[in-house]
Amino acid sequence: MHWLYLGIAVVLEIVVAISAGNAKGFTRPLWTIATLVSGGIATYFLSLALLTFDVGVGYAIWTSTASVGIVVLGTLMFGQQLGWKKLLGIAVVIGGVVGLRLSGGA
Amino acid sequence: MTSATEKNTRRGFAWLILLLAAVFEIGYALSVGGSKAFTVYSWSLVAVVFFLLTLFFLSVSLRTIDVGIGYAVWAGIGSVGSAIFGAYLFDQPLTPTNAFFLAVIIAGVVWLKLADSPKLEAKSTDVPLAEAVHAKG
Repeated sequence: MHWLYLGIAVVLEIVVAISAGNAKGFTRPLWTIATLVSGGIATYFLSLALLTFDVGVGYAIWTSTASVGIVVLGTLMFGQQLGWKKLLGIAVVIGGVVGLRLSGGA
Repeated sequence: MTSATEKNTRRGFAWLILLLAAVFEIGYALSVGGSKAFTVYSWSLVAVVFFLLTLFFLSVSLRTIDVGIGYAVWAGIGSVGSAIFGAYLFDQPLTPTNAFFLAVIIAGVVWLKLADSPKLEAKSTDVPLAEAVHAKG
């Protein structure tokens, strides 16, 4: 279950990033509320995941896979180019997460 | 007119705010872990405070600092700090294997954030996500 909780927290963290970008320094009320609500739910699911994951491990997987998700979303929805630099970053993050999983660290 | 000195002071201040945001992010990660899914009230309250502080300080610093660079520094410090202090605070020892793969993940995420930097990518035709998101909003 802890991977599922972390997955839900990751999806919500991507919503946080998009909302926070649109909140423009929290000057836009609706985007600010969206940021706080999605951030609150993301935090709750992260806390559920951290019942099982070590804090440092769970947190690193959460924030890094959310970053990968943000870049992938940028490519799919906002027509950003996915250059070799971003692909390398994504590959390194995924390699690290898989490594943790296979070595029994997560 | 803004003098060069004033600009430097403003940049220095923004970096100080960013470093504080990163420290708050470490506090956020640790207190969310310590809250035991928000059943321990003291840690839960601290988590909520750190959540608001890290979000606010990060957004203030990113008005001056480039989004990609700012996120890279913030995420890097947050992840390294959470791993190190989490190990001590919660008695969750970092094995060499764990530390190695955590270092790989953190290097990857810092690299990814830098690759998403409008400033560093200014020469390319690539539209940075932050700007794309802003343009859409």
